[in-house]
Amino acid sequence: MKFSHILWVVVAGVLGAGCSSIENSRNLANPKVSATTLAQQVCSFCHGIDGRSTNPNFPNLAAQQPTYFMAQMKAFRSHNRLDPAGYEYMWGLSRSLTDDQIKGLADYYAAKTPAPIPGATADATAIAGGKSIFEQGVAEKGIPPCSACHGPQAQGNEQFPRLAHQHSDYIIKQLTVFQRTEERPEGGIMKTVAHELTRKNMEDVAAYLQDFPAQ
Amino acid sequence: MSSPANQSQRWRLKITAYGLGLISLLTLLLPMQAKAVPAFARQTGQNCVACHAGGQFPELTPYGRMFKMTGYTIGERTIPLSVMALASSSSIANAPAGTAKSGTPILATASVFLAGKITDNFGAFTQITFDPYAVDNGDGSFSGHSNADNIDIRFANHIVGDKQDWIYGVSLNNNPSLTDPWNSAAAWMQYVPVPSPTSSQFIDGTAPYPGFASGGNIAGLNAYLYWNKTVYAEVGTYRTADRALSFMTAGVNPRTQLSGSNNPYWRLALSHEWGPHNLMVGTSGMVAHVYDDPTDTSDPASVGRFRNTGIDAQYQYILDPHTVTAQLAYMRTEQTYSDAMSAGQLNPGLSDTNIVTRAKLGYTYQAKYGGSLSLFNLTGSTNNQSDPAISGATYEAFYIPVQNVRIGAQYTRYNKYAGASNASDNNSTFLYVWFAY
Repeated sequence: MKFSHILWVVVAGVLGAGCSSIENSRNLANPKVSATTLAQQVCSFCHGIDGRSTNPNFPNLAAQQPTYFMAQMKAFRSHNRLDPAGYEYMWGLSRSLTDDQIKGLADYYAAKTPAPIPGATADATAIAGGKSIFEQGVAEKGIPPCSACHGPQAQGNEQFPRLAHQHSDYIIKQLTVFQRTEERPEGGIMKTVAHELTRKNMEDVAAYLQDFPAQ
Repeated sequence: MSSPANQSQRWRLKITAYGLGLISLLTLLLPMQAKAVPAFARQTGQNCVACHAGGQFPELTPYGRMFKMTGYTIGERTIPLSVMALASSSSIANAPAGTAKSGTPILATASVFLAGKITDNFGAFTQITFDPYAVDNGDGSFSGHSNADNIDIRFANHIVGDKQDWIYGVSLNNNPSLTDPWNSAAAWMQYVPVPSPTSSQFIDGTAPYPGFASGGNIAGLNAYLYWNKTVYAEVGTYRTADRALSFMTAGVNPRTQLSGSNNPYWRLALSHEWGPHNLMVGTSGMVAHVYDDPTDTSDPASVGRFRNTGIDAQYQYILDPHTVTAQLAYMRTEQTYSDAMSAGQLNPGLSDTNIVTRAKLGYTYQAKYGGSLSLFNLTGSTNNQSDPAISGATYEAFYIPVQNVRIGAQYTRYNKYAGASNASDNNSTFLYVWFAY
């Protein structure tokens, strides 16, 4: 068979198969593309099909609080979340999403099941230190327990994000953003909370949350 | 009257000043939404680091590979136009008299990209490059010339759900391995930019596939499949880029002439990602039937055969602020000479085999500061060719002040050149400023 014949057969096949299927679209500016399609066709490349990301640069989204999720997406879209991870990756992706699509994405991820992170290891002392900060805070520095807002199971509560089984690297980076910058104005409350945390405190609490014990 | 030396110095200063002035002006005037192929970035709205490991190109991140495999279709359609320019100065330790532009700052190359999403399933990456030093007029002057560079036009689909994940697609392209998502593939394991006018695909200057060296001059149709982010398989076949496909070789003269359409290319790779790490191990190859003389295709006895087999691997570690990419590639090329050529050779009937091994290790910090080290070694039989052996190392350091500008320095040291061990005369230094919008 000649090359040109193969070429035309393939081209005809491709055209016949339908060039634009909205169920498999990666178009971020078409309000008709469903949130599930966007989650699968675009978001999943970094955040995983089930909201569990492989690379710690990208947060886990499984079972994330929808209120928090929508607030973040809207903060990216309006350029009110300024941390580098936000603007480098998320400003552009969110720029044309509709409120309905954002809500759909929030529901998509809220329905996913979180899981401990495979291969996560931290030493027992760090985890114990993190548990103590999470449950009791650091009284002498006036640091409140994380569980007061994020829930006893670190499951989050409306505008307070779920933290259980989040990548420790992501938690440390975000605590650093809160503590040292004004890049996340929507999380202003965390600036006060994180103010007195040492690097060791952050590592411990992040290790505890990444490995959060199953109940 | 000023002496020629003074004039030349003044020219250098002028060119450098104009070049730097232009770049500064563009940098100030243009919004910072510009990336390696900035049209792609405008389409997704993301920064270059989303697709290019550590903001360094051409190395792709896992997401960048997905962007490519899904046919450049993520995002929203924008004006699919980008430009890229390179100002540089390269010098050779002991350049033979008359070596073109050694040590002179020049505007080395400029490219225009037409790149981006066409429909939800179709996208393209096409590059047209202008080389001001394409033709050496022999009197110290040069004539510029534009030609089709990389062209990759794709259809892709992604079937994905909780239990399955398939990406498949078809590419019409003009270089074997241009379609490859990993950077240890022959078309992509390279330094960008490279010295000009004596540019080479890699610093060992060998063309991994026939027709590859001049860039953009054969036409291929490839089909690929990526299953579960684990197994990548691709097959394709190449032919002369003539008739309806001649746009893929526009400006390349003479174009490589392949015999027929039975010049298969294949690729198989296994990949795995865990935490901030990802690894690929793969193999690839091609069989090409090439006319000895691209201007004369009248004699079927003047068709030689190249058989390539390669093994390659790539490892990446990406966790802000660190990015590490390590690549390893081995390629064996067996050239069976045409009957016409064989008849007049010293050892008629015997083929020659070249083996190229390349390793490259790159690091970037904060997608701003970076460097790399690469080693290359080429050995070959000498049945009917002179000893082609080349080996050496390239060191590079670069700085990315804003993501659409890169300033870098490369030094290449040769242990062996054209079979000779006394090769240090060929050591070269290359300084560049690269810009894209």
